[in-house]
Amino acid sequence: MSNSKWIGVALCVLASASAARADGPKELWHYYAAGSEKAGIEALIAFANKQNPDSQIVGRVIPGNAVEMRRQLQTAFMGNTPPAAYQSSMAFKLKTFVDSGKLHDLSETWAKIKGDEIFPEGVQRVVKIDGKPYGIPYDLSLINNIFYSKAIFEKAGLEPPKDYDGLVAACDKLRAAGVEPLGNAGGPFWSLYNFYAPLVSTVGTEGYYKIASGELGFDTPDFRKALDLYRSTMVKCYAKNWSGKTWTQTADDVVNGNTGMFMMGAWAAAYFKQAGFAPVEKFDVFPAPGTEGKAIFQMDAFAVPEGPADTLETAERFVISAASAEGQAAFAVPKGSLAPNVTVDPSIYDAVGAKFAKQLADASKANAVLPNLFFLLPTKVGTELGVQLEKFAIDPSDANESELISTLESLRQEAQAEGAYLKW
Amino acid sequence: MPNFQLVRRKFQTSGITHAIFLSLPVTLFAVFYIYPIISTFNLSLHSWDGFSPTPRFVGLQNYIVLLHQPRFYHALLNNISWLIFLLLGPTGLGLLLAALLDRGMRGEAVFRVVFFLPFTIPAVAVAAIWRWMYEPTNGLLTTILQSIGLGGLAQNWLGDPSIVNFALMGSMMWWTTGFAFLVFFAGLRNIPVECIEAARIEGATPWQLFWKVSFPLLWPSTIVVLGMAAVDAMRLFDIVWAMTNGGPAYASEVLATQMYDTAFGRFEMGRASAISVYLLVIAGVIIMPYIYQLAKRVQDSEAE
Repeated sequence: MSNSKWIGVALCVLASASAARADGPKELWHYYAAGSEKAGIEALIAFANKQNPDSQIVGRVIPGNAVEMRRQLQTAFMGNTPPAAYQSSMAFKLKTFVDSGKLHDLSETWAKIKGDEIFPEGVQRVVKIDGKPYGIPYDLSLINNIFYSKAIFEKAGLEPPKDYDGLVAACDKLRAAGVEPLGNAGGPFWSLYNFYAPLVSTVGTEGYYKIASGELGFDTPDFRKALDLYRSTMVKCYAKNWSGKTWTQTADDVVNGNTGMFMMGAWAAAYFKQAGFAPVEKFDVFPAPGTEGKAIFQMDAFAVPEGPADTLETAERFVISAASAEGQAAFAVPKGSLAPNVTVDPSIYDAVGAKFAKQLADASKANAVLPNLFFLLPTKVGTELGVQLEKFAIDPSDANESELISTLESLRQEAQAEGAYLKW
Repeated sequence: MPNFQLVRRKFQTSGITHAIFLSLPVTLFAVFYIYPIISTFNLSLHSWDGFSPTPRFVGLQNYIVLLHQPRFYHALLNNISWLIFLLLGPTGLGLLLAALLDRGMRGEAVFRVVFFLPFTIPAVAVAAIWRWMYEPTNGLLTTILQSIGLGGLAQNWLGDPSIVNFALMGSMMWWTTGFAFLVFFAGLRNIPVECIEAARIEGATPWQLFWKVSFPLLWPSTIVVLGMAAVDAMRLFDIVWAMTNGGPAYASEVLATQMYDTAFGRFEMGRASAISVYLLVIAGVIIMPYIYQLAKRVQDSEAE
């Protein structure tokens, strides 16, 4: 064979390879790489593929977290090879993609699944941009509960505290008994999530949304009061060296009897169970003071990029299956999270999961379901809030408090001038 | 046939042949090095979230904003600390280990593998291992210190803003010393035996032998190790990002992690590009004179 023929063959192989890529499997990108969350997504994909034998979807793990997913998506959009659907956070994380015209409007799908009926109002708020749905909720976790070790509480003669005075008293008692009172973990999220309880206690549900929309400043007496409450209660209770631990390491401290309480998202329940720490028998939960009757939540949704008709059809069929009561249960049970769909039978949850489900249902009726503030704020404000809160929790000095306030307030004003805030 | 050979010889000696052979590397260099730099500089003059169809031109605003941010200077200072550490720490220890092993210790082959092994582990795995080692209550390091009665020295390794950089450097030392060791060890083994023997005969002590004979002859190896250390300090990213994400509260942040966070955590691609342009300029200012000087000394020593 002459050289030119070899080159011709090579070009044909390359061309067929790229054609194969264009017609390749429809992918669902997510970052559930291991453990209970991996089991959850695999169960959901298996369920959806069984429902839709002619529109199969394949899961693909993007190692890392939301930041790595964003980087991968950006590259994929530039190369015009986005996945059929992907795991997305809510609110502002969806909005950036919507603003650039990359996401498919899911209004028709939303109508088919009766989204306005099956999802709580607070959940709907954060997947709709300008009134149109761009995400299908499937993975919800409450972040306003405190886990506690039953054995440690029984030994110390403690009952779950109902207010901040009770929390501080319980911390003092645990510390006197040689147990670290309240676990926390390093990183920009966990101190921030803990702070929501003192914040809501101080500014109320309305004030929480006003901060989210930029109407309530960080230099207001109310916000400072919330910081002071956080400092004099939770920060005072935090375990020694908390900032050098990951959340799983702190969860291990609770399992090993070194730490009495841990305020963490509901996903910690699945971790405890995997570690042989049985719900209700070994650990239980109570709402953080000031959040009784409320549900502050973190949630992921499936977003669908614009694409060829057959890819869109596969993605839409998948998200319809994922929104159904069976699909939501298929994911929630192995993952240990809550199904945002309120028609899901509560009997699928274990005892602690059932408590979370009831909390969400009650809060939903009272219109007190609050999305994670981090995602409601313009990205640069939310991210800086997390960093500054962690710094303040490590060193709750007046100087750090003032720096936190001035840094965030100048960012708020900058974002407002840019018109970056949204009313969710 | 003779004509064909003539044409072939002419072709081989002509400039066209050189140009053809050069075209591939030059194209690759232009496409994968020059173009991205120009493109990054262009992006740094815009405000862009990475998705919107039209980036907004903002001139030098991104550069000016960075110059007013303490966060930027903090990351730059961290890079400089890393530069000093990488030039002295792993390099010094690698040289020491190579010199010790070069004296003909028993089990040399085993030690050679043991010293080099950490360098073969990917950064993310190193980070996972050391995250576990540095757990402040039950981690290996704290446990060992406590078991030998030095519990008072145990720290909140990755959670204390004043400690975290030293902790990261400790893990880097473990990870990268193997490279310096291997280069120095190969260098020592390449030193002509006659030089060592001659010095011995002249009555040189082992100390004099090393500093007056071996070390000067190790200069090419030293250039490689120091040059790589300086480059590593400027492009440092993986170990910091995988262990702390630049935290707590920016304490361990370097320019590369700040650039990544600004681009993909805050969707400010223009400002992130400005950080990378600063990083390129700073790296150039720091590294180029140093490499130039070292290269000059090599030329001088070769001339001698």
